[in-house]
Amino acid sequence: MRIVCPFCGERELGEFTYLGDAKPVRPAPGASEDEVYDYVYLRDNIAGVMDENWYHGGGCRAWLKVTRNTLTHEISAVEPAAGAGARQVAK
Amino acid sequence: MAEFSWETRSPLDRALVGGAHGAQGEVGVALTEIRNFDLVQVIARRGRAPDMASAARAHFGVAVPETPKAVRASDATLIWSGPDQFFVLSNGGKHGMDALGQAFSSSASLSDQSHARVLISISGDKARALLAKLSSIDLYPAAFPVGAAAATSMDHTSVMLWRGNDAPDEQAVFNVLVFATFAESLWHTMLDSGAEYGVEIGHSEDLA
Repeated sequence: MRIVCPFCGERELGEFTYLGDAKPVRPAPGASEDEVYDYVYLRDNIAGVMDENWYHGGGCRAWLKVTRNTLTHEISAVEPAAGAGARQVAK
Repeated sequence: MAEFSWETRSPLDRALVGGAHGAQGEVGVALTEIRNFDLVQVIARRGRAPDMASAARAHFGVAVPETPKAVRASDATLIWSGPDQFFVLSNGGKHGMDALGQAFSSSASLSDQSHARVLISISGDKARALLAKLSSIDLYPAAFPVGAAAATSMDHTSVMLWRGNDAPDEQAVFNVLVFATFAESLWHTMLDSGAEYGVEIGHSEDLA
């Protein structure tokens, strides 16, 4: 599997680290215990297309949001993760 | 009380033995450690990347690299190291922390990496063949021209790789910056990879 880093170009899997589902959003302060439990522990086990966080630690050290089909490993989109601090995506 | 003697030594001090290595006869690859350089990493503060770029232009007289490239200024090389960050490689102290601290005081954070990295220059007929064993980057001349750079991994070690100006004999010169504590391991891997071509080992203080 290869990932096209928006900053570095196409690189092999070994340069990246998988974090997990990009969907969970940290609950607001004061959220209920159930909401926090859900955020910390509960994950969907998706067979199909999902958004994932990946870290390009062997390259530019940017966090990426990768849209991947977990059945085929086909990657349909890669973009810098929110807050990656990048002013612009390399052309 | 013990007396300490503080002496700056290269992290490759033990591993680097000058002279010929591997196949006898021809020299396919020259591996040269570059010593005594100044290396500062410049990282834009949040939202200040445009200010960092204009400060860099004012200080160095060239545009800061915004894609994986190494840009030559008159007495320094600016090497892209990630989004909104770059290395300043120079020697003689002209672009060390003190000088750059003033230039980037309001736009970027600086980190002195001078003694944290090892700089290895790889050149010669078989330089690409050696690197092809360690890297998946396409180093074909048209794909990786002079000034091309990549933040990548070699032998599971993060490195900064870029192509410097060609040698006087028109051979390509590749530069690798590697973390000091990983340098010895990568150095041995490079020697093993290059042994079949014949390696000329040395060190220098001249920035390519």
